[in-house]
This record gives sequence, structure tokens and C-alpha cells, in this order.
Amino acid sequence: MAPANPCDPAIFDVVQDAFAEALGLDLDEVSYESKIIDDLGAESLDLLDIVFRLERSFDIKIPRGGIETAAKDGLAGDEVYEINGVLTALGLEKLSRAMPEVPREEFREGLKVAEVPLLFRVATFCRLIGHLVEEKAQLSA
Amino acid sequence: MSIPRFAFLVHPLTMNQRRFVGVRRMDWALYTRKHGRHFQAGRICSLEMKGVAMGEVVSVPWLPQELIGDQSGGVEAMASAVEQLKDVQAVGLGSLLAVMGARGEALAERCEVPITTGAAATSWAAIENTLQVLERTGETEVAVLGFSGTVGEAVAEGLASAGVKVVVGGKGKALARRAEGMGIGFSSIEEAVRGRRIVVGAGTTGGVLEPGFLQPHSVLLDVALPSTLRVGPRPKGLIVLAAEAMNLPEGWRRGFWGRVYHLISGYGPSQIYACLAEPMVMAALGIETPFAQGRRLPISQVQAFGEAAKSLGLSARLASGWKLVDSQQFHTIKARGLASLT
Repeated sequence: MAPANPCDPAIFDVVQDAFAEALGLDLDEVSYESKIIDDLGAESLDLLDIVFRLERSFDIKIPRGGIETAAKDGLAGDEVYEINGVLTALGLEKLSRAMPEVPREEFREGLKVAEVPLLFRVATFCRLIGHLVEEKAQLSA
Repeated sequence: MSIPRFAFLVHPLTMNQRRFVGVRRMDWALYTRKHGRHFQAGRICSLEMKGVAMGEVVSVPWLPQELIGDQSGGVEAMASAVEQLKDVQAVGLGSLLAVMGARGEALAERCEVPITTGAAATSWAAIENTLQVLERTGETEVAVLGFSGTVGEAVAEGLASAGVKVVVGGKGKALARRAEGMGIGFSSIEEAVRGRRIVVGAGTTGGVLEPGFLQPHSVLLDVALPSTLRVGPRPKGLIVLAAEAMNLPEGWRRGFWGRVYHLISGYGPSQIYACLAEPMVMAALGIETPFAQGRRLPISQVQAFGEAAKSLGLSARLASGWKLVDSQQFHTIKARGLASLT
């Protein structure tokens, strides 16, 4: 069963529009659950385009490597996230928590850091944008 | 009457290319600093197609990683570069500048002069070069990679509308649906490439193709930068062509720094890349509507560029690196194709 869309509809609408515009898709082809590479066919430069459209729409800055930074947050000094580009068991656990929209079974043993974008959903961007918009509102309050 | 003018914005791809810009502008700080964002854009060289149009190549001295890390800042830098230009009828964008800022749209919102990304010219040259390869090899099918991108989609559509059997290689249900809607085949990259001798690599990302997927004695027309091919042993007899190469137009003048720029940027002594021709054609013919801007590129725009370019004597060029490829090199491919039929 497809997961419910807990995203603020206003945020989802803009994210959906950014993906559709950047990838030349119809709006109804971009769903909350869509995998951005395997379902929508995005390539790395498309992500550049998508990020720019979202930054402009929400007047925010999307940090590069934000997901990885969030996953590594709280790691103790002796805890290892990855070895030679392959995520450790702890790394997989941390990443899984940082990306709750991705089914747990996709964080398989042997997953490489370079393969993490394959897990990204439209929902990943919705959640990230939600956090950044909230942070921005708190800063300006 | 004054000659129409255009400009072409570029950025250095490597630190060494930026050092060249520092040398050209006699700017020691630009030569030595690790970050280019604090430096103004500046002219590298002038180009002239005698009696037709005159242009200048302007470098925004940001490296790719600087542009990727701060697209808004990059658009600002491009906008201030355009503000410095005088009496220019069209501005073209090179490399990453054509992708960032919503593929020219954000810059166009800031400027009064028409901004064009080069995608129509690149697509046209890739289509023309592929048709020439098909004619010389006798092949009838083409695999196109990078269908998710503006150029890949236009190349696939343009070849299909010219009667070529096209199979696009990629991922994703959305792309499969789009291909189906256009009457084009769709499969994985490996499957698309393994079954065909002519492959167009038009992805926005390089390094998507294992060399081992390609057949011996096949042709890869490569638009991607960096190259479509991953590192590895290449099959015997593989010909890799610069798919967006065009012949240096007759009467083209570029001066000393123009020659140096052409060599450093990989154009070579006798050719240009199509994206440079796009603003030149606009200026020369007084065309005010950009051929390409944003993600969507109707095939009619590609055809319109082609017609305009041909009216100025511009043509696509079958080249491998800088070198012209002669018909002789396609003979083995043609012979193998014929042998497989008997």
C-alpha cells in the first residue's frame, strides 16, 4: 500500500511542479512516492535544476549533502558511518532514520554512499523543504 | 550599418583553464586564487564571421563546483557579465551555465537581451551528424542515451521524425511512457546499446555507459561532457565522434586569443561546438526569440535553428576530437552490417 502523504499540500504542490518542470513531465506523473531516478528518470544535472527551482520558490538554501549530514548527526567519535564508500550497519541505521519515507528493506547491506541518491523520493525533498522552511520561520520569528 | 553582435558566456572547467583566464586578463590574483567567485567576468576573445556577425567570449571565472554550490550567486555573476555587454543582440551560454538557474530562465528574467542555451543547436548538430553516420554505415537503428534531458529527447524525436528506428536507453516509468507516446522504443541502457552499432550519448551526466556494452566496430556520437563512456577497455574499432561539432564557418576570424581559447576549450583549429553558433545565428539573422531556454525544447525550434544555420553556410562536422573523420573509417562497420544480413 502506498504511504500516506503527510507533507504540507502547499509544499508538495511546489515540489511536484519543480520536478515536472525540470524533467519535462506532466504533473500527474510526479507523486509523493516517486523515486526520482528509477521512476522519474532524473540525472544528476536535473537535480541541480530541481534544487534551484526549489530554492527560488521557497527562498531557502538547500545545503549540498544535507541528507548525509542529517544521517551523521549524533555519531560518536568512534562510530563509523562508512568504510571505503560502503555504508556500515550503523550508517544504514542512521540513514534509514534520516529518510523515513524510504522502506527499511532498501537500506541493504553493502549499499554504497554513491548509491544513496537512488533511494531519494519526491517525499525526501518535501520533508527536507519542510524542515528548511520551518527553520527559516524560526529564525525570522 | 553596424554588424550584429552576440556574446557567449563560458566558465572554466578546471583550475588550469581558470589560470588561462588569469593569464589572458593579466590578473595574477585570478591566476592564483582557489575561488573565482570574487572576480568579475571578463572577455577572453573576439570572434567574427566577416560581414555577418561579431561576438565575444566572456568568462565567468567560477569552477563547476562553485556554480553547483551557489546557483543563485552564479546567476548574479552571469547577470552582471551581461550588464557589461554593449549593443549585443543575443547571449549564448556554455557548459554548466546553460543548465544552472533553470536552464537560462533565471538569467533571462534579469536581462533584456535574449538568452539562449545552445540546446537547439547542439540537438541539430547531433541529429545531422547521426544521419550522416547512418548514411555512411548503412545502419538503420540508433540507440539514444540521455532521453530524460532536453537534448536527448530532442535528438530522439528528431531522428525518429527523420524515419530512423530509435530506441532510447534509460530508467523510469515516466520516461518509458513518454517514449511510447512518441512511438520510440525504450529499454535499459545495456539492452539499447548491445543491440545497435550506432549510439548517441546525449545525457546530462557523463560516465553512464560501460564500454563493454558497445559492439566492436560501432560508433558513439558523444554529446555529454564529461564523456558518456566510463573508464575501461574499449571495444575494437569503436569510433567516438564529437556529436555537436560543426565546421568552422567560412570567413571566421578569431585572432590570437581566439585560437588559444579554441585549443584550450577543445574546439580545435577547424571546428566549433554548436552551442557557440546559436547566439551567432540569432544575432546575424536578427532573431529575437531564443532558440532554446528552459527544459522544454520543441523539435520545431531545433529545425528552425537548422534552417537558419544552413542559410548562413553552417554545417555539422563528423569529427573525432579535432580530427575530421573520412568515409573510409566507416567501411568496416558497413561491411559487418552487410555480412550480418547474409
